[in-house]
Amino acid sequence: MSSQYLKYLLPVIVPFIILILPGDSFGIVGLTLIEQRVIAIFAMAALCWVLEPIPIFATSVVIIVAELLLISDKGLWFFKSPSPDLGHLISYQAIMATFSSPIIMLFLGGFFLAMAATKYRLDVNLARVLLKPFGNNPKYVMLGLMMITAVFSMFMSNTATTVMMLSILSPVIALLATKDLGKVAFSLSVPLAANIGGIGTPIGTPPNAIALKYLVNENSISFGQWMVFGVPFVVVMLFIAWLLLIKLFPTSTEQIDLNIKGKFLKTPKAITVYITFIGTIILWLMGDIHGMNAYVVALIPVAVFVTFKIINKEDLKRISWDVLWLVSGGIALGVALDQSGLAKNAVDAIPFGNLHPLLLILGAALLCLVMANFISHTAAANLLLPLIAALATTMQSLLPYGGEVVLILAVTFAASLGMSLPISTPPNALAYASGNIETKQMAKIGVIIGLVGILVAFAMLFIINKSNFIG
Amino acid sequence: MEKINIICVDDEREVLESVSRDLDYFSDMFNIEECESAFECLALLEELDAQQEYVALIISDHIMPEKSGVELLTEVAKDNRFIGTKKLLLTGLATQADTIQAINNAKLDNFLEKVWDPKELLQMVKELITEYIVEKGIDYEQYIEKLDAPTLYRLLKSQS
Repeated sequence: MSSQYLKYLLPVIVPFIILILPGDSFGIVGLTLIEQRVIAIFAMAALCWVLEPIPIFATSVVIIVAELLLISDKGLWFFKSPSPDLGHLISYQAIMATFSSPIIMLFLGGFFLAMAATKYRLDVNLARVLLKPFGNNPKYVMLGLMMITAVFSMFMSNTATTVMMLSILSPVIALLATKDLGKVAFSLSVPLAANIGGIGTPIGTPPNAIALKYLVNENSISFGQWMVFGVPFVVVMLFIAWLLLIKLFPTSTEQIDLNIKGKFLKTPKAITVYITFIGTIILWLMGDIHGMNAYVVALIPVAVFVTFKIINKEDLKRISWDVLWLVSGGIALGVALDQSGLAKNAVDAIPFGNLHPLLLILGAALLCLVMANFISHTAAANLLLPLIAALATTMQSLLPYGGEVVLILAVTFAASLGMSLPISTPPNALAYASGNIETKQMAKIGVIIGLVGILVAFAMLFIINKSNFIG
Repeated sequence: MEKINIICVDDEREVLESVSRDLDYFSDMFNIEECESAFECLALLEELDAQQEYVALIISDHIMPEKSGVELLTEVAKDNRFIGTKKLLLTGLATQADTIQAINNAKLDNFLEKVWDPKELLQMVKELITEYIVEKGIDYEQYIEKLDAPTLYRLLKSQS
């Protein structure tokens, strides 16, 4: 059988085999039927996200529907028939609620802010003003570009930021000589900065939001707290990426002139956008002094923008619903693993306790990094974080190293650091499409950034832990 | 109500007046602007953009001194700020080369020959404005009496 059919067959056959195997073949004592079905759903999700027989957001929807049919209290009668080892059915409401979980609302708010900023050209105009102080020296122009890309991608999607910056940059790159390595450096600078910048805030990239889902109760992190460690990490990584770019791909051009035209819009609507944008960020940074958490704050711009017709019906259709659904599916997977009791049982069954906690953190982060290079960052986080979170809660030996928070953050950061191939992230694909970069060149810098990033993340998490910043 | 503009460009005063007379039907709900050159039109576009007003349609003559209609519409077609703006070339003296350019570069929506039938122009503008309003997500109900019903139904059907 040719391998091209395999990607369609495996995600169907493997879960089916898991479903019909006898319960004691998994090596987990007291495995319930529900738990067994969760294993099957998880296997299907993993195979679908890795092999991509269907779009990744479709996989998320299939996960949710499969959970509703197989393990919910309102599922098919056949799957609910009483039996001593059936286990705990999950409420259908809990599964459906993943579509509108607070995490999704946080992202929706972020999408509205980004969309309004783009529509009223706040992004391009800010880029124009902020780039000015960097002059004409290619090195510093690149540093400026990267800093601005990173800042924008903290609040806009990494992809949207990349598109905007590449459209500014492409006429300039076209002027460079054909053999000039500067072409490579400039083309790579944008996706690198966008990927790194996404780590800076909870809304920067979906894996961060998924991490928040597992950082609850005594481990919860506010928007501002995230930025306190996220932003320094971004700064350090950007600087390293910049040094690497100018070392590996030095440009032979002496001067570079970015010519961005435009003026800040001064209509009442535009001013409403500016004020709402700044106001929302301030409210986010204030933590809960005002009593509202980040999720509640996120819905304020949504209300403001639709009220003042800044986002209209047509704009609403352009929201990246697929990204929201992709995250929902991940949350649903987490709900199933947690509420069925499978996560805890599985972790108990595997003797992680013998493993050195540092080795575990490093192993988990590296695994996530490798996965994120080949599959979507969000899908990687969707698959790994629920397992990691379950593991962390049961491992006492992790506590001296910062416990659950450190393990989850290390894996989350690793998910954003996978950027060595054109298929790793949409920003990489877009930059690759410019035709200025060879995969080899992208891989060279991507692998270095990935590994260095993990080291920097470890150093930072060590400092966080020592200073008792969180938890 | 949103401010929606229709811009007419022609270097001959009489033609300009006659076009706006034919479009009088729209004047109570839309803003009809007259420009005597491509440069005047570009300046007006800047101004309208700064006010964030909609530019639904540009009706331009081709042969004009300094900058031709096709050149003007090509510039508009490439400007990100005016994505969706409809473009109608109204001319009697376009060579085949001009016409090819107009279609390939200026992405014309419609072409009308001088001398035109006022009814035909009116119908064309109705259709183009309907398309613009639906595509931009502007609330069409308030303009419904000026829109072309078959076009509206077709577009709304394909949307739902």
